[in-house]
Amino acid sequence: MAKNTLRKTFIEPLGKNNPVFVQILGICSTLAVTNKLQNTLVMTLGVMFTTALSSFTLSLLRNHIPSRIRMMVETMIIATFVIIVDIVLKAFYPEMWKQLGPYVGLIITNCIIMGRVEAFALQNKPMLSLVDGLASGLGYTYVLLAIAFVRELLGTGSLWGFRILGSWWTNWSIMIMPPGGFFVLAILIWVIRETIMKEAKA
Amino acid sequence: MNESMMPFAIFFASIFTGNILLTNYLGMCSFLSVSKELKTSLGLGAAVIFVMATTTPMNWLVYEYLLIPFGLEYLRFIVFIIVIAAFVQLTEMTIERYSEPLYQSLGIFLPLITVNCAILGVSLFMVIREYTFLTSFLFGLGSGIGWFIAIIAMAGIRQKMKNANVPPALEGPAITLVIAGFMAMAFMGFSGMIALS
Amino acid sequence: MNAQPTFYRERIYPLLFMFIVTFLCILLTAGIYLLTQDRASANELSFTRRAILQAGGVSFENTTAGIELAFNEKIVVEDGYYTTQGPEGTRYIIPLQGPGLWGTIAIMVGLGEDMKTFSGLAIVSQNETPGLGARIEESWFTGQFQGKTAPFVMVEEGTASAQNEVDAITGATRTSEYFLNLTNRAADDAQSIIRGE
Repeated sequence: MAKNTLRKTFIEPLGKNNPVFVQILGICSTLAVTNKLQNTLVMTLGVMFTTALSSFTLSLLRNHIPSRIRMMVETMIIATFVIIVDIVLKAFYPEMWKQLGPYVGLIITNCIIMGRVEAFALQNKPMLSLVDGLASGLGYTYVLLAIAFVRELLGTGSLWGFRILGSWWTNWSIMIMPPGGFFVLAILIWVIRETIMKEAKA
Repeated sequence: MNESMMPFAIFFASIFTGNILLTNYLGMCSFLSVSKELKTSLGLGAAVIFVMATTTPMNWLVYEYLLIPFGLEYLRFIVFIIVIAAFVQLTEMTIERYSEPLYQSLGIFLPLITVNCAILGVSLFMVIREYTFLTSFLFGLGSGIGWFIAIIAMAGIRQKMKNANVPPALEGPAITLVIAGFMAMAFMGFSGMIALS
Repeated sequence: MNAQPTFYRERIYPLLFMFIVTFLCILLTAGIYLLTQDRASANELSFTRRAILQAGGVSFENTTAGIELAFNEKIVVEDGYYTTQGPEGTRYIIPLQGPGLWGTIAIMVGLGEDMKTFSGLAIVSQNETPGLGARIEESWFTGQFQGKTAPFVMVEEGTASAQNEVDAITGATRTSEYFLNLTNRAADDAQSIIRGE
């Protein structure tokens, strides 16, 4: 039984309960860096780390938090983990840190994190919340990586900074520009809803 | 270009070419959910202008005169979000007490704003780009106005679209994103507008 | 008997709880910050040194130790600028900064003996739009100034052919223009910095 819940908690955010497709949550700060795969991976790992650990910590505290200051405590703890991500990036991956700039800090306001804490962590045990946070982060990661894959490939003809397509390829500059992000996400949501969601409904 | 004109160039750029919503994707969550109705969009947009134009200079003061002297720059994320949350809470309470109509039209949107990434985003951009006090204020105000324009335009389009025949799977957020993409393209067209050189 | 616990639960407990959480959070971040501080400032220094080496056209191993070694061996620090010995004579490396679209762009420019021909160029810091203006950091962009002489002319991305032409960045016309102004100033600035005028 316990094993089943754990499994379900892990699987659901990856598929039919994906935070990006179903809830259209948390695309805020990360969508801005999806014109490069590398940046996207680092950002989403940051989100995953923060979601998992915030859920875990707040779930540990869930019976002790006074309800009036609940939001304050949540924000405080989320911000702490984001600061840790920021400091570690700055010390160990300074080039990445420079490229991401303020977007790391904006993980705090990513709705997924607060959303998972409110909807899941405050009602469930710490370990389960940790798994839920990790899975939500993972569901988020692969969607954004997919967007970044399309944008970087079409926009610059390269992947991970390496040239993939030959010189015959004309870069679709619009893809690495802001409108490209909107279009790719919209098309992705469309395709997913048209295929997977329909099956789930039937 | 003359350097003293810089703050004003940034003011216009933050409204049009560098629109915080359409180029940085900040504030998407509330943008997608609120832009269904023109009336609510007006209220939320006005609240965003107000909060951005006030919290950005406030955070500038806090950063410059509290965090830097004590070497606590790394705590800025926490401090900024607390300043924003506290300010929003205070304004909400003040409006509620003194002006019922204003509270109904603007105040009820204030709680939504604390979680709007654009507000924190403007403060973080201001720090990284090392703006002066005046520039921070104009950047905050400009970004707010830019966000306002974007959400109003989107709400208008979405109201018209109620009569349109959209494929079912594209309805809702997906079609909104497509429109936002076109809007972003249109706003990029403004980049030739101000000759900066 | 009843009032005591209620007052405690309503007022004191939340405050106490918030205080403890805040304290622990700040303790944790401060600890991590202090642990990594040396590393972070070493990175900063290394960044500037790497920019100097790149601008001077000096080859080096891209690690912290490699950068330090090459810097100490090849670069002479002068008052406000740096020099290095290239195959054709002394190269001058001068720091330059000027306005970008969103904030200051700081670069290192390497000039040949004639103080006009660029031996290299590297970005120290910039805050342009990621994916657009921020592409001035990419090596194809900075590399194209090598061996060319100011004044430069910007042409559409991918079409530069003549001696004084450089590719602009598509979608970042403003940033490209600012960058061009900055590089066109380099020769004059070099005169005044080196001659001490």
